[in-house]
Amino acid sequence: MPLLLAMLLAFNLPILLMLGRSVSGLEFSLEHYQRLVEAPVYLRVLANTFKIAAISTLACMVLGYPLAYWMRGLRPGWQLVAVSLVVLPFWVSILVRTYAWIVVLGNDGVVNRTLMGLGLIVDPLPFLYAELGVVIGTTNILLPFLVLPLFAAMLKIDGRLLDAAASLGAPPRTIFLRVFFPLTIPSFGAGAVLVFILTLGFFVTPAILGGGRVPMIANMLETLINRMPRWELAAAISTVLLVVTLLFFALYRRLTEASEGTLR
Amino acid sequence: MRRLGDLPLMVYGVLVLLFLFLPIAIVVPMSFSAASSLTFPPTEFSLRWYQSFFQDPRWIEAMRVSLLVAFMSSLLALALGSVAAYGLVRGTFAGRRLIDANFMAPMIVPPVITAVALYIVFARVGLLGTLPGLVIGHMLLGVPYVVLIMSVAIRSFDVRIEQVAFSLGASWFTMFRRVLLPNLMPSAFAAWIFAFITSFDEVIVTLFVAGAYQTVPKKMFNELVLQINPTITAIATLLIAFSVCLFVVFALLMRRAGLLGRR
Repeated sequence: MPLLLAMLLAFNLPILLMLGRSVSGLEFSLEHYQRLVEAPVYLRVLANTFKIAAISTLACMVLGYPLAYWMRGLRPGWQLVAVSLVVLPFWVSILVRTYAWIVVLGNDGVVNRTLMGLGLIVDPLPFLYAELGVVIGTTNILLPFLVLPLFAAMLKIDGRLLDAAASLGAPPRTIFLRVFFPLTIPSFGAGAVLVFILTLGFFVTPAILGGGRVPMIANMLETLINRMPRWELAAAISTVLLVVTLLFFALYRRLTEASEGTLR
Repeated sequence: MRRLGDLPLMVYGVLVLLFLFLPIAIVVPMSFSAASSLTFPPTEFSLRWYQSFFQDPRWIEAMRVSLLVAFMSSLLALALGSVAAYGLVRGTFAGRRLIDANFMAPMIVPPVITAVALYIVFARVGLLGTLPGLVIGHMLLGVPYVVLIMSVAIRSFDVRIEQVAFSLGASWFTMFRRVLLPNLMPSAFAAWIFAFITSFDEVIVTLFVAGAYQTVPKKMFNELVLQINPTITAIATLLIAFSVCLFVVFALLMRRAGLLGRR
């Protein structure tokens, strides 16, 4: 299998070498990890990345669940329209969508001018080059990753279950809380974990909307590689990120399997 | 089914959809603005930003590199990925799941890690800043989608039809050319589109390994970090149009292949 060979050479080997780089100069040492732990700068960036990932994930959950729930109840024609509206942005380059947010959120942007026009604020709100801007952009871009699988899982829920609950006299609120919502928890959780993983390694949006003032891991790696040449440190940080990502991915797999289990 | 909070839910749902769609809805009209700074909504319309894109040799060159790399890497990903998918679906050998997971890995591992790893290795073997290096990097990212789409396609193609061909005396190559290939064509084309778009939009690996080569996304990224140039609205709109066209073709192909839209 030629692909296996190509993958080994072009993907696995580089990753292994990177792992190797992180523990070696001329001989094995954990020096780079030690430096990583000792320098507060790197830990701060790590913490900041986790914070932004957590906030964006939460925002996606709050926006995504009701959207998917609403889409489930639509008639098939409208459902197709809604799904297309979710999928289309997904196909448009992340760069393009991030760029649009500069226009929307800038000091002279749509949001600020509207708010000032309404007399609600006097000075423009600093969305750009701040965490809020990064969170808004990230949420916008990653929302489909949560909505699409969640919607698919909701469609698979047997309507008769809900009818049965209704025929037993449960009010809609109870049906939702006791029957519908519990059935969607695994896929909801899986979607949230997926968004979280993706934000951890996110590069373009933080770089552009954060303008270098909202440091995230991926951007720090770029600086370490392209501007400072500190490869070993970059390799050590990548390894940490890789391990964390794989751990969360394992969680994701468990949740998707659980979701398939409950819906079968 | 009776539902919870119908009207508020509808309002909320529509608002979230608007939020999702807002970037596209803003960029496209702005690209036709005549104003020299970014203001929305535009007051006068013109094609000046399209002009400034098409008359700038640096953008044209970036476009050429982007297309070239996307073509080469997606074809490579399609060829290698399809063969691998065939082997994975039809073959019976130990470690299949592990190999499959390995092919999917570039989709899961954050691209920036792939970029760091490739940078370190390419720097050693002299592929840094070369076209082959760039193509290899992009191919890696396209492969998971090809394997995914082609595996589904091959799995849904009845193995007995292949066996009939063999029993009628066809060699594997004849069977492949006359039976398998025509049937898999729509899926293969869809997978190719996916790999193509993946490469065409790719920024991160490109930023790390492309050296002096400029692709459209890389040039866009660099300009966006420095300043806000309205020419980018025109490029963005062209890219949106391009992606939407490919998306429509992709959806049609998947439907034809019977992989989508069957209820």
